[in-house]
Amino acid sequence: MTTATHATLTLPGPTSGAAGVALDVSASTGTNRDAEFEREALPWLDDVYRFALTLTRDESDADDVVQETYLRAYRSWHTFIPGTECRRWLFTICRNVFLRSRERQRPTVDLEDGEQDALAAGSVYAAARERGYDDLYATLDLAPALRDALDELAEPFRSAVILVDVEDMTYESAAQVMGVPIGTVRSRLFRGRRLLQEKLVTVAEDLGFATASVGVRR
Amino acid sequence: MSAPARSQLEGLGLSASCVDVLRHLWDYLDDEMTPRGAERLRAHIANCGQCRGLEGYQSSFLDTLAQLRSEFDAPTELRQRLADKLKGQGCGCWAKVRGES
Repeated sequence: MTTATHATLTLPGPTSGAAGVALDVSASTGTNRDAEFEREALPWLDDVYRFALTLTRDESDADDVVQETYLRAYRSWHTFIPGTECRRWLFTICRNVFLRSRERQRPTVDLEDGEQDALAAGSVYAAARERGYDDLYATLDLAPALRDALDELAEPFRSAVILVDVEDMTYESAAQVMGVPIGTVRSRLFRGRRLLQEKLVTVAEDLGFATASVGVRR
Repeated sequence: MSAPARSQLEGLGLSASCVDVLRHLWDYLDDEMTPRGAERLRAHIANCGQCRGLEGYQSSFLDTLAQLRSEFDAPTELRQRLADKLKGQGCGCWAKVRGES
């Protein structure tokens, strides 16, 4: 049971002897806080690791991001609102840690609301059908190629695709993780999907997934 | 790739209803439409071979993407390092990070 208490915990400073840090633990205290953190945050460790790995594309970097994510989460646990999605909260921290580690500014790509790319999906399909690729995903195992294509996909499109299509988040949750409006998530997501699909058609062609020249494929 | 070429869309034999499907298909497949809007699209797709083909193509693409959510467990070494750091922060549940009771 959570005990709401207002208190200030002073953590010892670093070994250099600098002053300690006063940590506001007004949301909960001591063992209650740890119990809450264990119950709410720890179960998502594997998910956060997977998310970090897809962002960093490097196991060592992912390790560092995950550790920093959980340390920040523990230190700022008093800011987590009970009853809200802890996984989404952790993913937000994780993504911010990742972006800071790359010394990147927050992406400023400002796309339209996604309508153009939604319509463009029709052209991608039309082009695929003209070349006989309309059953591409049912015929070929493209997961490995798609994984490579996703690794190469530029930010901020990659984050949008990872959050919605791989991590199965809603537009709203992804928007909160990315710190952008839902419309921006849609536009980045639709653009990312279109870029991936165009890449996969190229992969299929390179694999010799030709049609007209070899007749019916089934 | 530029905005969709009108000739390509016309080549699909798209009606105004088809264009509406195209405009909202991703929202539909992502379960981000209102029930009424989703039902409208569903009804059109059920009666339109062109849009049914498009819906199948995009749905297969999303299914392939979803496969990438393979089971990645955090490595044991990472869990140990994280446990040590949380212990250093005074976290009482550090042992649970390693899966201990």
